[in-house]
Amino acid sequence: MQLDENIKLALSGVSDHKFRSFLTMLGIIFGVASVITMLSIGEGAKREAIAKYQDLGVNNIIVREKNLSDNELEEVRARFSQGLSLQDAEVIREILPGVNQVASQAEIATEVKYADKSVKSTVVGVSAGYLEMMNYTLKSGEFIQESQYNSRMKVCVLGAGVATLLFAQTDPIGQMVKIDDQWMEVVGVLASKTLFTETVGELAARDLNTDVYLPLSTFLNRFTREKELSNEIQQITVQVENSATIVQASQLVNEILKRRHFNNEDYNIVVPYELLKQEEKERQIYNFLLGAIAAISLLVGGIGIMNIMLATVMERTREIGIRRSIGARKADIMSQFVAEAVAISITGGLIGVVLGVSLSLIVSFFTDVSTCIRLYSIVIAFAFSVIVGICFGYLPAKNAANLKPVDSIRYE
Amino acid sequence: MIKLVDVIKNYAIGENEIPALRNINLHIAKGEYVSIMGPSGSGKSTLMNILGCLDTPSSGHYFFKGTDVSILNDDQLSAMRNSEIGFVFQNFNLLPRLNSLQNVELPLIYAGMPAAERKKRALEALERVGLSGRLDHKPGELSGGQRQRVAIARALVTHPGILLADEPTGALDSKTGVEIMALFQELHDEGNTIILITHEAEIADYAHRNIFIKDGMIHSDKCRVVSD
Repeated sequence: MQLDENIKLALSGVSDHKFRSFLTMLGIIFGVASVITMLSIGEGAKREAIAKYQDLGVNNIIVREKNLSDNELEEVRARFSQGLSLQDAEVIREILPGVNQVASQAEIATEVKYADKSVKSTVVGVSAGYLEMMNYTLKSGEFIQESQYNSRMKVCVLGAGVATLLFAQTDPIGQMVKIDDQWMEVVGVLASKTLFTETVGELAARDLNTDVYLPLSTFLNRFTREKELSNEIQQITVQVENSATIVQASQLVNEILKRRHFNNEDYNIVVPYELLKQEEKERQIYNFLLGAIAAISLLVGGIGIMNIMLATVMERTREIGIRRSIGARKADIMSQFVAEAVAISITGGLIGVVLGVSLSLIVSFFTDVSTCIRLYSIVIAFAFSVIVGICFGYLPAKNAANLKPVDSIRYE
Repeated sequence: MIKLVDVIKNYAIGENEIPALRNINLHIAKGEYVSIMGPSGSGKSTLMNILGCLDTPSSGHYFFKGTDVSILNDDQLSAMRNSEIGFVFQNFNLLPRLNSLQNVELPLIYAGMPAAERKKRALEALERVGLSGRLDHKPGELSGGQRQRVAIARALVTHPGILLADEPTGALDSKTGVEIMALFQELHDEGNTIILITHEAEIADYAHRNIFIKDGMIHSDKCRVVSD
């Protein structure tokens, strides 16, 4: 019998018992849908993580001051540590091999005012190359220039949130804002950043949109430290040329700082690349679990198909006998029933794909969980459902083919 | 055309071998109209199964057009049933979900015939049995006589060597039964070889040669002079 006749026969077998076929499909439908949904949630989380670490720079080593209480601060000062300083940054730049750039930043929490509006902000003093190092993008204007840095000009770049709050109507470029008690000219506005909403390693989550950036030289010249014993700067970001040697580089940075801080650990070192690798490893376990769940649900779906197909063969003994008596070979009967099982599992698989894709979209639409549907997950889920149909349709089909025509034709 | 040589068929029930056919020797020529009659349990159904290639003898030989059927494998038997045997059953044995045309086309599908030719042949067969107007009807929408006509069309559609009718009037009222037997008569007149299995003497009388079996053996084999 030709293939097209087999397909026609299988489809009519499914559509003749729509409700029963649908119930049989449920296992496959939910199996496929759950595989696609779970994979898309996993993929979404992975992308978010990668974006998060890429945001911090995969070639970056971030050295950040430790949050110490006044007592602890006094203690480390008594043990000769000067805290993070520009000098530290300078030494790292000189000693560390394979270093690309070193940026220092000092921070102060204060109010930024324009006209009658004011907004709480983190004012960050940075060097000129900071923008490229951190992968930030400008919305308008320009970032702090080398010349502005060198001549300690009173210019600033606003984070997107600050700009929208202070300048609802007017173009902020060229306007003067008051930061703490200093007037600064706005030279640029950053594009909005949604990321860095959760703690990464030792780096606390912070809304980067409320940042205001100044030349570090201006900052150190114009603003007093929050406390007398505070560190000179809050963060040193070291960019290396090659992420392959970043772990050794970070260890070396640690050695340098340990010596310079007289073994006082008043800083933390965060290597986003290393964290990314770690998280990838954890995700592998998670993916394996997902795979296991998916396999089990599809297995259960397959058993459901087998169960119904076995019952169908019993019920259709007479039909099998009739077909055999008018010339159907064993192989014809066999392929008829396998095709029917495959038709059920393919239809179930297709419905499952639609359901899984919709579920993923619904999840990302109504919750904070971000999802990402990859083509390969659809292909895998669908291919599995077809394989399940073939495997679990085989035994019932074999039973059907092995029925003796003499007996089955007279079966009541 | 058909030649049975020392055919024996035993059935195993538990540990006992029950003989259903004991040493049958039979010769049926092309174009004959033969009835096989016998009480229930006489072995006539077993004989029909063997003649219809649904079953093979325990020993002995069955030659169909010179081919020894008793040594064929399952696929070859299927092909044999498909091309050479036209079955007509007491209870019609049509597929309930297919309409008349599809039911008649079915053997040709298994023969691998292209769709267009299949349809043409099926239409011819249905026309021959006088059911051209019932192509789209499913068996449930047809009367008993019409269903049997569809079944006969299905048996005829492959142009088989023999028509094998197993109690073809058993499920019909007597008037319809007479009509069906008239149809068989016509088919015989057109040159078809017909084997009719029945336990009713009146039905057997339609045939030109009556074989009576009892206890698995041929009890009598008589040719009848037919007055036209």
